[in-house]
Amino acid sequence: MIENITTKLAILLQGKVPEKIDTGNITDEHEQNLANRLNQLITFMQEVHDFIIPLSKGELTEINMSSQNFFGSPFKELHSRLLHLTWQANQVANGDFSQRVDFMGDFSEAFNSMIVSLRNSEKLLKMKIHELEKALSHIKTLRGIVPICASCKQIRDDEGYWHQVESYVRDHSEAEFSHSICPECAKNLYPDLVKDNE
Amino acid sequence: MFKENRDYNKFLWKDLGDIESGRPNLGLSVPVLVYRLLQYTFRDVMITELGVNKTNDIIIKAGRLAGRQFCENMLNRELDFNEFVSQLQRVLREQAIGILRVEKIDFENMRFTLTVVEDLDCSGLPPTDEVVCQYDEGFIAGIMEAYTGKSFHAKEIDCWASGDRVCRFDVRLQKDTE
Repeated sequence: MIENITTKLAILLQGKVPEKIDTGNITDEHEQNLANRLNQLITFMQEVHDFIIPLSKGELTEINMSSQNFFGSPFKELHSRLLHLTWQANQVANGDFSQRVDFMGDFSEAFNSMIVSLRNSEKLLKMKIHELEKALSHIKTLRGIVPICASCKQIRDDEGYWHQVESYVRDHSEAEFSHSICPECAKNLYPDLVKDNE
Repeated sequence: MFKENRDYNKFLWKDLGDIESGRPNLGLSVPVLVYRLLQYTFRDVMITELGVNKTNDIIIKAGRLAGRQFCENMLNRELDFNEFVSQLQRVLREQAIGILRVEKIDFENMRFTLTVVEDLDCSGLPPTDEVVCQYDEGFIAGIMEAYTGKSFHAKEIDCWASGDRVCRFDVRLQKDTE
């Protein structure tokens, strides 16, 4: 009996789960109690084994362990925390940046920093998108049909008012004008000056 | 309020009194052991006087009443569900009631799996083969009822007291449990 129990304990100490002891032939009451206790320990270790292997692979659903298994209770707590973190990660993925992890040491700090970074990045991105959309709306205005006077080149706006081409373009785009005189106009306007320079 | 016979609940949040002015020196808080002393002695006497089933029934009903009043007076019920859960987590933590964590939410069927860690009622109790957080069951159901306007049922499926190191609750609409 002692040899049998020693063998079972040695297997347990190797991190494996042995077969239970057959208690049917044990007549001594103390030995029966000892065998029952060891069999209970084997059951608990089997449960822990069956629970922790899928958990280590990230398989969080469909695993369970009986109550009263005190060897396994820290793993149940870990399992619960991982389920909660999975739910929180899904919430964040759906845009809920109010999530925070409490009382999980270094992990809390890392997770909470990540949420703040994600929220800031999204805010910045939304701001940039808004700016781009605004700029795009100006470009679209200038892409439409612009009624222009064939003679004086003034442009008519949507309300029927006429504007000089410079002011119209400036008001409907990000462009600014700096005034100068082209060589052809310079010849017409200042013929003497142009002749001297030539 | 406490000395008349009646068959309806009358408790309101204001019945808790102005604790701040009533306890200027001792303050708002008492140790957890005082809370447990109250709850477990009540429980013990009720079991001898009324039996286990009736006792549990009363504790769940009291928790439900407390949960409704807590929600109506301590929580903003106008928030959407995600924000409401975040708020509930924060308030339960600030009031040192427990650390609430959500494991699963099924909106379609209105079914939730929640855990409470460092629970006021049971964390640290000597292990038995019983789940003991009946007051929490009622409290959680009461909060959900006050928020949604629908009847809820909460059942503790794991408990510190039964060796699980975490209290896990299955919360669902009342009609699903009938």
